[in-house]
Amino acid sequence: MHGLLETIAIEVDLCAPGWERIIDPSPPVEIIARDIIFGEGPTWDARGKQLFFTDIIGDTIWKWRPGVGQEVVLSPSVKANGTCLDLENRLVVAGWGGRTVFRMEKNGTWKTLADRWQGKKLNSPNDIVVKSDGSVWFTDPPGGLLNVGMVGPDLQRYLETQPVFRISADGKEMTVVAEDNTYPNGLCFSPDEKILYVNDSRERVIRAYDVKPDGSVGKSRVFHKYTGPERGVPDGMKCDVDGNVWCTAPGGIWVHDPSGKPIVRIKTEGHHPTNIAFGDDDWKSLYITNIGSVVRTRVNIAGVPSR
Amino acid sequence: MTWNFERVAGPCKGRTGGLAWDGKAMLFSAVAEERILRYDPSNGETTVFRGWTGRTNGIAIAKDGTVFGAQEGGRRVVHFLADGSTAPTQELLDGAHHNQPVDLTIDSKGVVWIADAYNATPPYGPPAYPFLPHASVLRMDSYGPGSYRLTRVTHDTAGPRAVLLSADEKTLYVADGDVERGDVCQLFAYPLDRHGVAGHRKTLLNLAANERGIEGMCLDSDGNIIACMGWNKSGCAPSVVVISPGGTILDTHPAPADVPMRCAFGDADLGTLYVTAGDGGLYRAKGIGRKGLKRS
Repeated sequence: MHGLLETIAIEVDLCAPGWERIIDPSPPVEIIARDIIFGEGPTWDARGKQLFFTDIIGDTIWKWRPGVGQEVVLSPSVKANGTCLDLENRLVVAGWGGRTVFRMEKNGTWKTLADRWQGKKLNSPNDIVVKSDGSVWFTDPPGGLLNVGMVGPDLQRYLETQPVFRISADGKEMTVVAEDNTYPNGLCFSPDEKILYVNDSRERVIRAYDVKPDGSVGKSRVFHKYTGPERGVPDGMKCDVDGNVWCTAPGGIWVHDPSGKPIVRIKTEGHHPTNIAFGDDDWKSLYITNIGSVVRTRVNIAGVPSR
Repeated sequence: MTWNFERVAGPCKGRTGGLAWDGKAMLFSAVAEERILRYDPSNGETTVFRGWTGRTNGIAIAKDGTVFGAQEGGRRVVHFLADGSTAPTQELLDGAHHNQPVDLTIDSKGVVWIADAYNATPPYGPPAYPFLPHASVLRMDSYGPGSYRLTRVTHDTAGPRAVLLSADEKTLYVADGDVERGDVCQLFAYPLDRHGVAGHRKTLLNLAANERGIEGMCLDSDGNIIACMGWNKSGCAPSVVVISPGGTILDTHPAPADVPMRCAFGDADLGTLYVTAGDGGLYRAKGIGRKGLKRS
């Protein structure tokens, strides 16, 4: 359900003082991918100069290179969702419908990093991020067991909660980071990695957690709660180098300052953004995955590099 | 004859929904709790048959004892397997995602008949797929384990809420229309040919505007339809009625609670009628002078 790509435009609204440092009033828009069903999981690979993204319902992990085009990385992809790169620049994937977290090895094979918690199948790993110490953090809501067109071969839920998990850098230990979200979805770290942000699609809230040196987090605080009438829920989320938090949320992509206050909203009018990634050499391009497309625009502030 | 209902389980959160007698106990859906519960009349205990059902409403038991469920929240029919896992079935009708199944029944050949309605509660997940321009009865034929094909059966329904097959499986009864969506509620009988293709329908009941129609039904051993309908808000009172195959209302009984939902026979010799309702209860009436149809 989305508008025509021929008329897609990036618009900005909800402008607070100083918003111009985030984005221009009429930013460009370039269509990266149009023949997809449900775009998600964008990650810019600076070494390969390419964008990874997923089509959940189309059951494919894609990569796209400027001037070259789209190429299949993995299909079927167990309805893969979020992606990120680890310290060795390997693609790490939240396996959503397949209920796993997996990694692409240097030889092109795929290695499962997690598929169970205390003997029970995971819910459906949604989004994922690697911290600079090599640990892998992911959200595990139940949507991949329910959403139309997104489920795998077993859609029975077994876990009682919907945690944020952390896998240690050596891959040997998995721990629950937080369990206080109804539907944890996007997650990212502040530039100094002292704060973990997790958004909750059901409660329409972004929570912030202080990260402790041992990899655990403190009690959450509400960073921002969306209360407007627009359609959409908080979903994909990334930070820029100033610590502003960018979140696909009701009505478009909201940019919040580090106190949670909205600075500006970026809209892909008529389209439903699901996730975002900063990319290109200066990290000032914003790749936006939508239901039905992936587009690129330019912004005035660099994102935190994905690796 | 007065039917004396007693509440044997609940109240659950929200309306209770589909029921199925498994030979020893009554399975019933606590739709909003996303659970299927199991009431065992031998000890009066209610246990959880399955959790996290994605708002499954109508349920039916296949010959191998596994349970099929109409998963309203996920816009699909699901298959609850014996090992505790749950398999999706076929979500596409001619390449398009169908609506929100609310009820289903299984015939002697294993074909699943599905009431694919529009629903007040939206499905889970982002709105990637629009609903079909029609809300119809569908049939799902199996072509080996886990392989299914969906076919549209009715072409003249507003939104079917309940499906039932006659004893000889030559007639499909369809309760159509949701008063909460403003539909006029009716009960239709479709003749089925040997390929399961529906012919011209006969209208058995045609309710006035604002009257709450049939939400669930089952068959007694004489081939009559037992149906849950009506509410306190308007029109006919909450009732459990007995309707002849020709459409004559033979009996009307006050329902045990407002917004009666679905019904099924259970207990020894299928001699007890169980009813779910808007108050989240599971009710039963013993010794009503009717028994459930034993299907081969």
